[in-house]
Amino acid sequence: MSWDKIGYEDKLLVWNEIMEAEEYVYTVGVAGEEFFKGLKEKRIVGSKCPKCGKVYVPARLYCEDCFIKTEFINITSKPYIYTYTIIYADENGNKLEKPQVVALVRFENTNGGLLAFVEGEVEIGKEVEILEYKIPLIVRVK
Amino acid sequence: MKSNLYFRRVAVIGAGLTLFRRRLLETPQELAWEASRKALDEAGLDLKDIDCVVIGSAPDAFDGVHMKGEYLAHGSGGIRRMVTRVFVGGATGVMVPITAWYHVASGLCQKVLAVAEEKMSPARPHPQSVFRYIWDPITEKPLNPNLIWIFAMEMHRYMYVNKISKEEIALVSVKNKRNALNNPYAQAAGNITVDDVLKSEILVWPVQLLDTSPVSDGAAAMVIVSEDIARRYTDTPVWIEGVGWALDNTEWTGRELTYPRYLEYAARMAYKMAAIERPSKEIDVIEPYDPFDYKELHHIEGLMIAKRGEAPKLLKEGVFDIDGDIPSSPSGGLLGVGNPIAAAGLMKTISIYWQLKGTAGKMQVKKPVHTGLAQAWGDLMQASTVIVMRN
Repeated sequence: MSWDKIGYEDKLLVWNEIMEAEEYVYTVGVAGEEFFKGLKEKRIVGSKCPKCGKVYVPARLYCEDCFIKTEFINITSKPYIYTYTIIYADENGNKLEKPQVVALVRFENTNGGLLAFVEGEVEIGKEVEILEYKIPLIVRVK
Repeated sequence: MKSNLYFRRVAVIGAGLTLFRRRLLETPQELAWEASRKALDEAGLDLKDIDCVVIGSAPDAFDGVHMKGEYLAHGSGGIRRMVTRVFVGGATGVMVPITAWYHVASGLCQKVLAVAEEKMSPARPHPQSVFRYIWDPITEKPLNPNLIWIFAMEMHRYMYVNKISKEEIALVSVKNKRNALNNPYAQAAGNITVDDVLKSEILVWPVQLLDTSPVSDGAAAMVIVSEDIARRYTDTPVWIEGVGWALDNTEWTGRELTYPRYLEYAARMAYKMAAIERPSKEIDVIEPYDPFDYKELHHIEGLMIAKRGEAPKLLKEGVFDIDGDIPSSPSGGLLGVGNPIAAAGLMKTISIYWQLKGTAGKMQVKKPVHTGLAQAWGDLMQASTVIVMRN
């Protein structure tokens, strides 16, 4: 850690080594809190605009069109594969032992979607079952 | 003398702020939305009425999200609309209403939502470290400087040339933090004394902890419209009468640090547009940029409201107090309200707007006000932006 204060020297505050933004710590936001609380309880939390009725997944604080506060709701509609891709190498370019299937999972009659690792015979449009509620979701093709 | 430019009159009809706090839970987008929603509500407009959106944010590195204009557009009502992002470091906050002004003044847009947002808290261990790459890589970076170093040098030079003591400068911090007690959005309000400032931790001599503004998160938004729209939606529009912006030499080592020439140029441009010949007589209330206490005095001089080196004397006489002749930072400024960079400058502009509208609540200055001014400063410490408004 380069930002440790080591005290006063000739009335100057000294930081060891070099200043660098070593990491970023993000907050999940008001809607994010609801969404992640839901994930822990194996629920998908979205939010519904009280004006236009649009449902957003994951939850968000406001409707981007009506610009008013949304209401958080549990998403109960069917999750399905909207699109997918197959990854053959990791971020360093090393070949993966087994290709990784990543899908964009959407829920019927909602806006938005979540990324997921997929098990089973992947196909666009197929319904999935959520095995693990986390980021990314782990889903199995039904 | 008014300049010979011809453009449409532009008014402010709504504004909104979020709390200024360290490490707010809200995401940058949520903060932008909250401020924007409040601004639209005050204006009596809805998002569908807005033609274009101007977004201001200082470096992406603060929020830790690249392409922040695009990122913020979501919460700023920028989707499926003309969106512009402006970015001149600390001067951004006032560049936002200036940019909105020329969108409207030129006839391009009728109703603009101007939004500024900054979260200073994500970068760890400290947002100061995101400035690491603004230095000359050969002559300065080997010293691993931080921004406070050069403010300290500027402050020292200002004190030396004008024979100003730290006590005189500390009065700015005392005044602004006291003013901030009246501001419901403020983060660092308090009744402190000169002694408290002088006894606070020394950061980089002569800059001490209470000479500086805190690290903050926050957002601000304004609704800026053409004259006919303003007349339709409000009986009390506040007019943007003059704008100015300028850049001095980016080699800070070569500049005269005693006097903010970048600001004088920007102020002269705004004054000319607003037909102001004697700023100290014609301007009723000001919000000069005050990330550091000496900086407010520095800028009052750059605005030509006080002669060079005389701002501390006028401050001591009470000229800049909330009940003084020219109240300065009645909002509490960055020292009192907080410093989410771009949002802080727009907060100052909003403060002047509320003063001129007469809706500043407990922040309202005692004397009647007709002409107000907000100013911001930044980039590589050489950019300044000025806005003059009248009711």
